[in-house]
Amino acid sequence: MSSVLVKNSAAFSETTIDGEVVVMSLDTGTFYSLTGSAAATWALIDGTRDYTALLDDLAAHFKTSPSLIGADTDAFIKSLVEAGLIAGG
Amino acid sequence: MSPPHSSMEALAQMERETRWNRGSVPIGLDGTAATPGRWQMAAGRFLLRCESGFGFLYEAGRGITVEWPDGGDPQEEQLWRCGTVHTGIACLNGLVPIHASAVEHDGQVFAFAGPSGAGKSTLVAALGQRGLTLFCDDTLLVHSPGDGPIMALPGHKRLKLLEDAVEMTGAVGEAAVGAGTNKRFAAAAAGASTQPLPLVSLTFLETGPDMRCEPVRGADRFARLADDHYTQAIFEAAQPDRSALFALRAKLAQGIVMTRLVRPINRSRFASSVDAALNHILRFPGRKAA
Repeated sequence: MSSVLVKNSAAFSETTIDGEVVVMSLDTGTFYSLTGSAAATWALIDGTRDYTALLDDLAAHFKTSPSLIGADTDAFIKSLVEAGLIAGG
Repeated sequence: MSPPHSSMEALAQMERETRWNRGSVPIGLDGTAATPGRWQMAAGRFLLRCESGFGFLYEAGRGITVEWPDGGDPQEEQLWRCGTVHTGIACLNGLVPIHASAVEHDGQVFAFAGPSGAGKSTLVAALGQRGLTLFCDDTLLVHSPGDGPIMALPGHKRLKLLEDAVEMTGAVGEAAVGAGTNKRFAAAAAGASTQPLPLVSLTFLETGPDMRCEPVRGADRFARLADDHYTQAIFEAAQPDRSALFALRAKLAQGIVMTRLVRPINRSRFASSVDAALNHILRFPGRKAA
């Protein structure tokens, strides 16, 4: 995953309630509730980072090592791509 | 029909649009026959055909046409027209239906939501005995266009209670509802609201062994607005723009205080559960200034 991660902003609507991010696919109507590291990852997908940069920034945010969070982050990014919510990766 | 700008206009629009006459109703919309018991919606029209033979057609600007079968039960007609048909009309006129009963206090609306049988009507009837004005029973209509305030329209249905609820709440029972139900109309002990008011609180009634009242937080606030009651299916059919639908639900989720009231369904604990609901209302933060 070397290209810049970009949200497909035309494919979803989102809002934040009490710190939780709610995202809805406009194609399927499916809701996603993002909290904790998922919400932080979602916030870091801002069109300026590739996967490696995102992982580094996420690890710094949670004061941990990229190697410790890589597998979970990778799986989450893939699920966002499969849901059509982001491009790149 | 354009959506009303103010809640007073919305109320007047609903009064106009729900006028009805007898007449013939097509078997379906757009050439498709309606299945009895199912509704159809297309191009500003709403159609319902019932297994008993009643047919209802709403057309924007023309009100409701009711096809009346031989021997049709007037009480059944009223239940359909004031229930599913009314909800369809509300949705087509830009209103949001919530499956809830509500009371008014201090110029604000406090609603209680839950599935059928959760005790919504019984609770608002009991709150009426404690002096709170009935705002609506079973269906709450919300008017909240754009950045405007979240306003609720006063209910159009009479309060209906099961026989044991009439007794338990101390309400004054009136005529039987009929139409195959075992409910009775009941007087609103402290009167009923007639004007739109701000909707400030939505409490979800749940069943559990221990009584507690606690806030609903985060995405759960959003998810609870998209429940599986038939009113939401009608609303989503009338609002095919998912982005607009999302924005509206997000506004409601952020603008209304949501709470869970968990209590045992137990006659001996009923008064305590009414006390809990009343305390929630009386202690509600940010009450409107006099």
